[in-house]
This record gives sequence, structure tokens and C-alpha cells, in this order.
Amino acid sequence: MPDFLTAYSIQNWLESCPQGYLEQTQYGHAAGESEASIVLDSPKLRDQAIQSTVQLVVGERCALAASSGLINAAPDEGSKRFLATQTLDEARHVEVFTQRLLDLGVRKTELEPLIKEHANPHLVAFAEVLLEKIDKGDFVAGVVGQNIVLEGMAFTVFEMLYATNVEMNPKFAHTLSGTIADERRHVGFGENRIGSLIKEHPEKKAEIERMQKEMSFHMLATFADSFRESAPAIMEAQGILRGTNGTQAGASESRWQGRSLSTLAPEEMESLLADSVLKEFKIRLTRIGLDYQTPVAP
Amino acid sequence: MNDPLKQLSEDTPRQRFVLAETGFNEVPKKYRKFYRRWQGSGDTLALNEVLCPVCRVVIRSSREIRPGDRVYCMPCMSRLVVIRSATGHLEARVAY
Ligand SMILES: [Fe+2]
Ligand SMILES: [Fe+2]
Ligand SMILES: [Zn+2]
Repeated sequence: MPDFLTAYSIQNWLESCPQGYLEQTQYGHAAGESEASIVLDSPKLRDQAIQSTVQLVVGERCALAASSGLINAAPDEGSKRFLATQTLDEARHVEVFTQRLLDLGVRKTELEPLIKEHANPHLVAFAEVLLEKIDKGDFVAGVVGQNIVLEGMAFTVFEMLYATNVEMNPKFAHTLSGTIADERRHVGFGENRIGSLIKEHPEKKAEIERMQKEMSFHMLATFADSFRESAPAIMEAQGILRGTNGTQAGASESRWQGRSLSTLAPEEMESLLADSVLKEFKIRLTRIGLDYQTPVAP
Repeated sequence: MNDPLKQLSEDTPRQRFVLAETGFNEVPKKYRKFYRRWQGSGDTLALNEVLCPVCRVVIRSSREIRPGDRVYCMPCMSRLVVIRSATGHLEARVAY
């Protein structure tokens, strides 16, 4: 077992995660916290929260299927054990985001039909590209697709959502901060494990790079759809925030990547997120010895 | 040793720092003061700090950090080597 893998142990996971930052949380946030009334009281904002949470559930279900599938494809014991902890993390993410749908007023009996109806087709296609590699037992492609592409995207999306919600909706921001902490381990494992494996399998590079290009295309198309659909809700939230805190736009606002999220137009937010994720892909892939492929614009 | 600075590039004396808790809770308690969340553009690194390129957490040591040092990022479990970037800043590279 490669030496660095000893750190990705179940013991370490227990100490930092369930006995650490998740201690005394309920569905990822402090007991007694509830969704912000600004979200619950506005039909437009509540609908938008449901729509975007559905995409989180779909993404996390993909990560759950991928990480559990990778356990049997892993060539060594250490990776299998780490992926078992990741499988539980991803199952927890599915659970906390599903719980959020219930907290937003979705009835249990409506859950599955709602997820099916609102899942973005491009996000579903993004998951299919990855799960196809994993079904074939392709560990190297599977880890790049999951721990670099899928999680690189999730990590950045969660950070943006956290910045948006930290003032406005602390309960959801707290749920997100636990998932961000989990993602740090997942991206860490991805880079550290694959960095050495890619060197041993240069013949796999071209195929993996094609996968990245395809997944990136579906990701950009998902972002485009999401921001277009939620534009009215985003503008309403920005308006409420400016009105309720009585400040000038941008004076007391959430900032991310040096930009003020309370004043950006939805399409500016979309390009900020897309550029950030693609830049992140490029840096991470170059580090492990892969050539980033620019996706076709959707 | 709990300090993430695992191996010094040279033996010359270094400035010392007293570390306080930063609210970072993602690692077991005794290691928490050695890390903090990166605040994004606008945030600056002190002489005893370096940014983990993998998980974007700031790694803090009780000693000044210099190029060639080896540091450990516990939140993502990466082993890193400190280098000086083209722009003159300290950066960490993953040691696979
Ligand atoms: Fe996840
Ligand atoms: Fe993950
Ligand atoms: Zn790190």
C-alpha cells in the first residue's frame, strides 16, 4: 500500500469528521436551526431553492454511485478503505440535501417525482459519462472523473453557495461548510492517488482528456440552464437584501472571488462560476500531468 | 510534532510565531490552530503561512516558512514542498 495512503484511514476520518466538525450537528447544521424566512416566505425564492437543491441531490447521488463503484475497481487496500469513507460522506450529502427539500416544504411522497422532473438533463448526462467509466472498472479514469472533475466542480459550487448564504441563510451555509470540509479530503485523495498512477499509465491520457472535455461541456450547459431559470429569483433576493439591511448595494454583501454577489447580474454570476471551475480544472489537471481540454461552448 | 512544518530547507534561525485558534474545526482539536480558512482575493499570507493548492486552506507554522521546506496539509492530507513563484510569493507544490 503506498505510504501516503495511511493518512486516508478510517481512524483519521472518524477523528476529524463524525467526532470532529460533524459532532452535534443534525443533517449537517446545528440543532434548532431552520431555513431562513426570506426563503420560506417568498414563493419565487422557495421554488428556486428547491430547483437548485434538486441539482445538488442529483450530483451527490452520482458521487455516491461513483465512489461506491470505485471501491471494487481500486487496485489497493488503502484506496478501498478511503473510498469506503468517501462513500459514507457522499451518502450523507445525498441525505442532508434531500432533508433540505423536505425542510423547504416538499412532501415525502413528492420527492422522487420532483427530482425526476427537475433534474437537469445535462447534469444527468454529466453523471452518465462518469458512471460509464466506473461500470467498466476503469479506476484511473473514474478517479479523475470523480475526484478531480466532479469534485472540483462541487467544491467551487459549494464555496459560491456558501458565500451567497452565509449571511442570508445560516442554516444552509452550515450544511454546506460540512460538505466543503468533506470535499477537501476527496480532492486531496484524487490528486495524491492519481498523480502517481497517471505516470504509470500514459496510454490512458487521451481517453481521460476526452472524458474531461465531455463532462465540462455538460457542466457548462447545466450552469447556463440553472442561472437562466433562476434569474428572477436571484434578482428578487438581491433586492430584498438591499432593502432589508438598509445599505447601499454592495456595502454589506456577500463576496466571492473578489466580486460582490449582491450586485452581479445572473449572467455575470454564471460566467464567474464557469470561469472559476474551468480555471480550477486546468490547474488541477496540469498538476497531475494531464492536458486540459477546452469544452465546446453550449 | 503537531506543527505542519515537517522539514526545514536550512538550519539558519527563523522568526517564531505564537499561534491562536482561528475557528478552523476541520481537523482534530490539537491541530486546529495550525490551519485557517483562506478568505480569497484580498487575504494575505503571513511569513509563517502558505496556501495549500489542493484544498485552499492556509497552513500555519510556529516558525517562519521558507522555500524548500516540506509542509503537511492535514485537511486534505497532502504533502507539499514550498517554492518561490515567479511573482515572488511563497507557493506550495504537491509532492506525489
Ligand atoms: Fe459530495
Ligand atoms: Fe465528494
Ligand atoms: Zn490541503
